[in-house]
Amino acid sequence: MDFLTIDVGTILFTLINTGLIFLAFKLILFKRVDAILEQRQQEVADTYQSAEDAMANANSEKEKYAQAIANAKEEASGILSRAEKQAQKQSESLLEKARAEAQAVREKASRETEREKMLARQALQGEISGLAVELAQKMIEKEIKPEDHERLIDDFLKELGDET
Amino acid sequence: MQISDFLRGSPDGVDVSGPKLIASFELFGITINLTETVVLSWAIVLGVFLLLNWLTSDMKTKNISKKQVVAEWAVQTIYNLVEDSMGKHWRKFAPYIGALFTFSILGSLISMLGLRSVTADFNVPLTWALITFVMIHSTNIRTHGFGGYLKGYAEPVPVMLPMNILSEVATPVSMSLRHFGNIVSGMIITSLLYFALSVITKKIGIALFTIGIPAVLSLYFDLFSGFMQAFIFIMLTMVYISNADANAEA
Repeated sequence: MDFLTIDVGTILFTLINTGLIFLAFKLILFKRVDAILEQRQQEVADTYQSAEDAMANANSEKEKYAQAIANAKEEASGILSRAEKQAQKQSESLLEKARAEAQAVREKASRETEREKMLARQALQGEISGLAVELAQKMIEKEIKPEDHERLIDDFLKELGDET
Repeated sequence: MQISDFLRGSPDGVDVSGPKLIASFELFGITINLTETVVLSWAIVLGVFLLLNWLTSDMKTKNISKKQVVAEWAVQTIYNLVEDSMGKHWRKFAPYIGALFTFSILGSLISMLGLRSVTADFNVPLTWALITFVMIHSTNIRTHGFGGYLKGYAEPVPVMLPMNILSEVATPVSMSLRHFGNIVSGMIITSLLYFALSVITKKIGIALFTIGIPAVLSLYFDLFSGFMQAFIFIMLTMVYISNADANAEA
């Protein structure tokens, strides 16, 4: 062939070949890649959707839990305050009881003391009277004559002997 | 030896001729020539089919293979290029641009295998330029209406009519000749260089210059030039067609 010619056959074949390569690009490369890109986009969208759903779900769960926790807290504080009140009451009653008991003990103790005091006084009176008698006897002894004294001893011995 | 001997094809081996004729037959009274160009084009078509089929086989949405990355990158790049130069509504044009670019670059780079560049046959860029020509005018008619299309030749003033017609005709001629001329001149220069280097080798007895120099020059004349011409051709095609589009965004 000449270096520079216009050849209808070559043009025709080039047209067909260009068309074939175009078809290859359109039907193989672009179609498949577009399909896969679209599929991927769909998957990404799905993933986002499910992520959003999960997020919404989690949020509602969270709210639910927060509600439950708030309820529990309220309940706990209720229980606590009730328990506190009860404890207060109990301790007050205990204190009351203790106070009353202490009062009773104190009263008893003071009664006892009173009685002891009385007993002691009585005993002291007895002793004092004994001492007075002794003193009186001693005073009497000084005035007794020896003969009387002897008689007294004898009487005492007689009395002792009668008794034995 | 004279320079003209190189071009004529001297017995020493410089061959700068047209594509070889392989077969010829008559169809409806027209002689159809099966030339080297046509046969190599078939090889390119087959290669493109196999390559694209391999690239896009077994594609997944996750954990993609390297070849799928290449395929997706190619598609996105072509889409971006077309959308940037023609607007979003020309998106469907992308496969043609990809096909044209691939055919052109492979047609030029086939010379690196020691074969004759398909694009060094004027008929090939001429066919593409004619396709572009038809697209320019059909787009013009489709978007402006036939009356508007005809009126376009008389603008801005009716005196411009012959100039406008000439400029429309000049478009495919300049496009095809630019592509053809660049590739064929690269081919001629490379052939001359090989011949000159072989003469030097014969004279000094050692293949000192035939190593390295042809590779560097081939890098420019085959690889760079082939790429540039393919790129220029698709850019011009897109610019001309979107200029003819009355609904152009830009």
